[in-house]
Amino acid sequence: MKRFGKLVHFEFNRFFKIYLVLIGITILSQIIGIIVESTNYINLANKSMYEDHVSLKQFIEENGMMSFAHIGPSLWLLAPIAIVAVSLLFYMIFIWYRDWLGKNTFIYRLLMLPTNRISVFAAKATTILLYTFGMIAIQLVLFQVDAQLLKWIVPDEFRFDMTTREMIQTFDFIGLVFPYSFTEFIIHYGLGMIVVSVVFTMILLERSFRLKGILFAVLYGAAAVLVFILPILLNYLVFNEYLYPGELIIAEIITAFIVLVSSIWTSHYLLNKKIRV
Amino acid sequence: MNVKFNNRDPVYVQVIRHFKEQIAKGVLEPGQEIPSRRELANQLKINPNTAQRAYKEMEEQGLIYTEGNLPSKITKDELVLKGVRKELIMEAVETFIYSVQSIQVPLEEVLDLVTEKYQKSQEEGNV
Amino acid sequence: MIEVKDVYKKFGRKPVLKGVSFTAEKGKITALIGINGVGKTTIMNAIMALTPINKGEILINGEKLHKGSFEKITFIPDAITMLPSMKIKDAMQFMDDFYDSWNQERANELLSFFRLKESDKIADLSKGNTAKVNLLLGLALDVDFLLMDEPFSGIDIFSREQIAEVFTSHLIEDRGVIITTHEINDIEHLLDKVVLLDNGVVLKEFNTEEMREKEGKSVIDVMREVYRS
Repeated sequence: MKRFGKLVHFEFNRFFKIYLVLIGITILSQIIGIIVESTNYINLANKSMYEDHVSLKQFIEENGMMSFAHIGPSLWLLAPIAIVAVSLLFYMIFIWYRDWLGKNTFIYRLLMLPTNRISVFAAKATTILLYTFGMIAIQLVLFQVDAQLLKWIVPDEFRFDMTTREMIQTFDFIGLVFPYSFTEFIIHYGLGMIVVSVVFTMILLERSFRLKGILFAVLYGAAAVLVFILPILLNYLVFNEYLYPGELIIAEIITAFIVLVSSIWTSHYLLNKKIRV
Repeated sequence: MNVKFNNRDPVYVQVIRHFKEQIAKGVLEPGQEIPSRRELANQLKINPNTAQRAYKEMEEQGLIYTEGNLPSKITKDELVLKGVRKELIMEAVETFIYSVQSIQVPLEEVLDLVTEKYQKSQEEGNV
Repeated sequence: MIEVKDVYKKFGRKPVLKGVSFTAEKGKITALIGINGVGKTTIMNAIMALTPINKGEILINGEKLHKGSFEKITFIPDAITMLPSMKIKDAMQFMDDFYDSWNQERANELLSFFRLKESDKIADLSKGNTAKVNLLLGLALDVDFLLMDEPFSGIDIFSREQIAEVFTSHLIEDRGVIITTHEINDIEHLLDKVVLLDNGVVLKEFNTEEMREKEGKSVIDVMREVYRS
């Protein structure tokens, strides 16, 4: 366990600098975005009310009150978050390939550690998960910072304050990464872990069988998706929506579990018996 | 110590011969400590197992002795020491006779030449 | 003892190992020699389970490789496997973090023997020094067996001399060593045992001293016989 902790720590540090830069860009862009957008709004209000003699009520009717909803969907926020998200997705693959294709073939070291080889798999998966959590935690803090900035810049009569939950909703589908309840948390991140383990297994198939492995990987990925959606498919196509939603969820949980376990088992087997440096 | 070994004779035999030469020349004195097998391997750039083998043979031949955990030493046994000297001389003589016989030179002719050459090279300090 | 028993291995359709068997004992230096290319490195990778074999068996001290084996046997590939961004001391720390068999005292001794600075970054090292760090990381483990892939190739003559010196020193202790090499000049006297490979088969396996004693042949003599016939 101590070694596993060290392995995670090691893996975490290997991407940390780039991660910090990405997070830095997100923070900067978000703060600048808030300042720029709300200052523009205030300037517009000043111009309308003092130069064009528009009343406060009329201005708000025409332009709406200033709130996070103005800024949330803007590129100031969405672009950096998208960059971080894409980087993490990319790193989910690169986290393996760098060990084979990097300058000094580090995979030798990892495969010769006196630990179960599956712990290398687990450490890499944990690393991806930690980075994702990190990003979300930082965004949750940023929401508070954003709200405070708005309060400082925009006077009360122009401002509509939003709760964190409302702020998240302005993010649309990206809001999915911010679960509202413990159940949602389990579902979202459980799904995330399954995706990570399936992708890792596909990578290991390719690394074990190379050219042929690409085919195996595609087949495995397709099979994993199929197994995962099997209850839904069967329910619609075969059972004519015979299952209650609760039953469907239980069936989904079972197939999700099957996909997760078979990915881990396959990876364990590949790492021990089939892997090539 | 810098010794050039050939690749065809067992290295341990060559190591023993090297020690005998050193003893005969007096470079190694009776009772003098010799390097450990690891040091010897390192000095001669040979496999430590070979050094070990050489020491084992030398111990059996009585050329060296070991007391408890102390480093091995060159024997003080006069008989053995004389034997070493004699053995080397005999070997040289035999080689000489073999070479001379193979070109069929009479002994008298050669002996005079040997004396002359030997003295000359002594004077030049070649030996 | 490392026992390689009737090992077969194909790359795609191309057979690389066609029934290779040999043993390497503790306390002895065994050389895997092959004059042309593939096979030697594959054997080492196979011993360490870094590549699958199609048939056969490999035993280390009588058992198949498992996670604990990596505290008993280590492999030093022909290129360093630590990240270029690491300093020598980071690489040593990494080993210390993961291996119970890491011997810091011996690591320090090797550092001064090779005259390496632990604050140097791996990416900045010369070829010779990179090879030395690579060697250090394996040698400082208290393992029974060391596998080294071409430890003498591609480096300058002085680094080579220094590395050869390691083999005769206490740094090897009584461990079993397997090295692969394609030329044995300068190192003939270091070897206990030689396994001659060609085309995926073992052509001859012999003890060097025994060969000299019984047949009066040097390793190169035997190689000449075996490879030319």
